[in-house]
Amino acid sequence: MVVSLDHLPEEILHSILCHLHPRSAAALEQTSHRFENVTNGPLLWRRYCEIYYKSWDKKHEILQKLALPVSAVDWKALFVSRYHIDRAVTQLLDSILGSQTGRIEKFRAVIDYGYDAKDTLLRHSTVESGEDHLARSIAVPEWARLRRGEPVSLERALGAFDLFIPESGYGDLDEVKETLDDLVAQFGASRSELDDLSPRNKALLLASWLRDRNLTGIELGREYHALEHNFLGLALNSPGHNSLPLISAAIYCYVAQAIGLDAQPCGFPFHVHVIVTPLPGFDMNGEALSGMDVGPPMYVDPFRGARETPVSDLRDQLVFLGASETEQAAFLGPSLTSEIVQRCSRNIWTSIHSTPHPPDGHTTSMDVVSAKYASLWSSMLLTGDSRPMDLRHHLPLLMELFATDFPSDIFLVEKYIVPLFQGLFEHEHILESLHVMRAVDEIPKQVRRRTGENQNIRFSVGQVFRHRRYHYRAIITGWDRECGAGEQWMRRMGIDRLQAGRHQSFYHVLVEDGSVRYVAEENIDLILPKFSELPSSLTSIAGKHFKRWDEECRAFVSNMRDEYPDN
Amino acid sequence: MSSQITLTSSDGIDISVDRVVAERSVLIKNMLEDLGDSGEAIPIPNVNEAVLKKVIEWCEHHKNDPQSASDDDDNRRKTTDIEEWDQKFMQVDQEMLFEIILAANYLDIKALLDVGCKTVANMIKGKSPEEIRKTFNIQNDFTPEEEDQIRRENEWAEE
Repeated sequence: MVVSLDHLPEEILHSILCHLHPRSAAALEQTSHRFENVTNGPLLWRRYCEIYYKSWDKKHEILQKLALPVSAVDWKALFVSRYHIDRAVTQLLDSILGSQTGRIEKFRAVIDYGYDAKDTLLRHSTVESGEDHLARSIAVPEWARLRRGEPVSLERALGAFDLFIPESGYGDLDEVKETLDDLVAQFGASRSELDDLSPRNKALLLASWLRDRNLTGIELGREYHALEHNFLGLALNSPGHNSLPLISAAIYCYVAQAIGLDAQPCGFPFHVHVIVTPLPGFDMNGEALSGMDVGPPMYVDPFRGARETPVSDLRDQLVFLGASETEQAAFLGPSLTSEIVQRCSRNIWTSIHSTPHPPDGHTTSMDVVSAKYASLWSSMLLTGDSRPMDLRHHLPLLMELFATDFPSDIFLVEKYIVPLFQGLFEHEHILESLHVMRAVDEIPKQVRRRTGENQNIRFSVGQVFRHRRYHYRAIITGWDRECGAGEQWMRRMGIDRLQAGRHQSFYHVLVEDGSVRYVAEENIDLILPKFSELPSSLTSIAGKHFKRWDEECRAFVSNMRDEYPDN
Repeated sequence: MSSQITLTSSDGIDISVDRVVAERSVLIKNMLEDLGDSGEAIPIPNVNEAVLKKVIEWCEHHKNDPQSASDDDDNRRKTTDIEEWDQKFMQVDQEMLFEIILAANYLDIKALLDVGCKTVANMIKGKSPEEIRKTFNIQNDFTPEEEDQIRRENEWAEE
């Protein structure tokens, strides 16, 4: 008997197929009945789904599906549908890079795939930071739900800030919850006699456990208002776990609630405390009360550690501040989640404006622009309708940031910001500027070839240079044969005082600080760096315009073939 | 130190081999542990002399490899990279290749089975159904209607 492929048992054929791309399984399927059967096992296609796609849109309920018996799900159909999405997203991304026209709609098409687009986005991670936009499109609706008065848990509402911050590394709110659940499990495992403790002792034990592990509070010697202390997810994941009282309280409340305590952040001014309320019919020491009376709550300050804050201390401070009886009651009661979010938003704003940016860059590696953007979004969405002045105050700031740094968020602005201004005079203005953005996006770009009068333009799109006078480094993204800016701009900038004046080539450039400038040819000093010599500030913004780096030419490879076919 | 043991192939040939080498096979290792070292030959009824020698050659070369942990639950994409010595080792006719795979499966030598599977995977990679049939001499037992339908079902996979 001659042994052939046909003689291999199914499980061996299965392991062979696991080494192959599913396309090969599809090819083998078409060879004979035997292989048709072998390649259609649901185990194989579930495996392919797991291997090839890590992120799944919520609608698939993938975790539930994985828990079902394997044959209960058509895994092959699921794989094929994801494969189609993968292909479609890849095409869209290629086309976004290949042409500057119609990017908004293409981007929308990508984002409409939700988390099904994420694997593809990560593979093409240079494109317009698509995953960041995806993360924001998860975060914003959480705050919108909160605005509508729907229940949103505190960790999701605060975790939403992390989704704005690339440094936090979170792509989804469930990841924040998982990290907190780990803490709950660790705490539970560290103490076996938890159930025997009175609520008061439980509350204090948890506070000291968290503090001893540096999971709450801020290490000595650190700047209290440092920006990174404002983010729940960042505090949970970073080695030092430094957090402001508000975030420390949120961490405390999550674990406390999981072990059966009624703990909530308390709206005390300046320093968020936690209020722990006993179960009806008992006091905090676990003693039964007459009837279903509610015993007095206790106050804990997880930021500082295992010490109960006597309510008299808090009252004294409030009296000192001149708070009335009703105000005192409000300050000493539990805070709504929306209030905590607004407070976090203000804290972020304070951090951005109170911590100076020292020139040695010692304080923070955080992206201040993203943090500011998160703060603006949350405060706009959670400002009550009764306070249009606050909305108006924030609008221009948000619109400016959005237009310069996050234009792909246009759908979020249309869906969540525009309705806030219904009936206010700004409504028309916002619609108008969104309309302009879309219109500009749809205009085909004028084609600029390097022939005729454009022959003498020296530099090309993708090259890196240092400015002769201001010494910043930048990438060329476009050019004009002569200065193409308006007369006023030229006067203001003193263009005619340049050696070659306005009749020299001018370049659109992307500067390492993220700004966009227009530079005369005589000020350009090419630096031809190796990739390893490029500052990270440049490589991180280059993705907006370029797909890859050409080490041989020492320049970025231009994708703007529609506007600059010859670079 | 008597570290030699004897294996008897399916066609009745005794082959003497270092115990450490033979113990690359989980099956043989377990048998030796269960039976103790009686000095008697161990029958390998499913593997003939030629294949058994080939398998021993592989075990000899890899006798000092660390035993790899099971990666059955590993959900990373698997590669088809094969180290150079193994590539040369696997340059045999198809029948021998499949015999080695079956023997590795029977003797429970995971790393060898893995190399065998990768080798076959590389022979399938990038080929059309017709090319795969030719490579492995597979009889097309579809009716034209069936073939047409199955082709349409798999159109998604075409580049």
